[in-house]
Amino acid sequence: MGEVIVITSGKGGVGKTTTVANIGTGLAKEGYSVVLVDTDIGLRNLDVVLGLENRIVYDIVDVANGHCRLKQALIRDKRLESLYLLPAAQTKDKTAVTEEQMKELCQKLKEDFDYVIIDCPAGIEQGFKNAIAGADRAVVVTTPEVAAVRDADRVIGLLEAAGLNEPDLIINRLRPDMVKQGNMMDIDDIIDILAVDLLGVVPEDEMIVISTNKGEPAVLDSRSNAGEAYRNIAKRITGEDIPIMLLEANEGIMALFKRLIGRKK
Amino acid sequence: MKRDIDRIHMLMQLTPPSEILRHDKPPEIYPHLYNKGSQSKDFGKKDPQKADKASHINDDIGEVEIPSDMTILIQRTLRSGQSIRYPGHVVILGDVNPGAEVVAGGNILVFGTLRGIAHAGAHGNTKAIVAAFKLNPTQVRIAGYITRAPDNAEDDCVFQHPEVARVYDGKVVIEKLSMGGNKVSTQ
Repeated sequence: MGEVIVITSGKGGVGKTTTVANIGTGLAKEGYSVVLVDTDIGLRNLDVVLGLENRIVYDIVDVANGHCRLKQALIRDKRLESLYLLPAAQTKDKTAVTEEQMKELCQKLKEDFDYVIIDCPAGIEQGFKNAIAGADRAVVVTTPEVAAVRDADRVIGLLEAAGLNEPDLIINRLRPDMVKQGNMMDIDDIIDILAVDLLGVVPEDEMIVISTNKGEPAVLDSRSNAGEAYRNIAKRITGEDIPIMLLEANEGIMALFKRLIGRKK
Repeated sequence: MKRDIDRIHMLMQLTPPSEILRHDKPPEIYPHLYNKGSQSKDFGKKDPQKADKASHINDDIGEVEIPSDMTILIQRTLRSGQSIRYPGHVVILGDVNPGAEVVAGGNILVFGTLRGIAHAGAHGNTKAIVAAFKLNPTQVRIAGYITRAPDNAEDDCVFQHPEVARVYDGKVVIEKLSMGGNKVSTQ
């Protein structure tokens, strides 16, 4: 029996979809069978980030309403054999699926996969409620901005009210140089406010823009800093104990080089 | 914009309203797809024999000729999430963006760039075509056949001249749209 993990944030644009794509790919690369479920009906993106948009025939709404079998709607990733996507519908809206249907769907997926990772839409309305309905565990993504942290706090409250206690936190798009100058909230400030366990810190990385546009998750790129962070997060989800990456400000080319060489040992 | 919507509403009076612009209902228009258990395995692969197997359409409405007056004109760009469903032919003066879909019982003509999904001959008519000034779709479906662009496609492989997609010899082929000849099916 697998585990259903919902990735949520409250605020939009903090990197939920990117996180889902990268953690999912990271877990599949570790050898687990993984299905990614996009519940952002009407504004789907996960298929684009994974580069699978042109393979979609059936979607989550078709499955929930019984117009096709679950297996027919699952799209296998073009790179990894054990990674699947259940895409959202684009021409419908959030009310097309109910919480009961989502619970049933998660239950079915859990039987066949080690990890079911749900990409939650922004907001706290019906789409959010659907996304968390069948989840066993929640991961909240935030960026080091006051507005994002505020929304994350609200979402953690809602998750706890829904019985998803002790959600984990991912801090995304951190810029060590700005933290050092005092212009950005640091990890401790955020943990102070939210009081939850930290699952990982992902540095701001240009490669993410390139990889999401190309439809190739950054975890597959060994040169990407963010990809490295996501690989570690995936391992932590499976229970491995890996220390949080220490991010150094103003890292020069040589320092980066040394770090890369050091890691291989 | 409002005028266009009014026009579409007016046109809806002429056809069974359940068939057009429905967002909430599953596409009844795909019976042959929904009943075929093996379909999902076959899509995405450009194997003509497999595609052939997946697309035996046994409903009688399949090859019924659609009269040319059963055509709607959409004078706007279809954006992501918008869909047009019509049992006849569909002509679009504008683009069809990624995430938008056009499902027609007959042919689909796009006077603009087709980047989304187009499903022509949705009742099972394999003679239906999809034509566009710039044909760069996410997917093209004709009757029970589905095709998509290859994964390693470069942007510059989109030709600057009008193209047409049709079923030929058991697979979807794309060719330059030539006027005047009998290449374009007129039904």
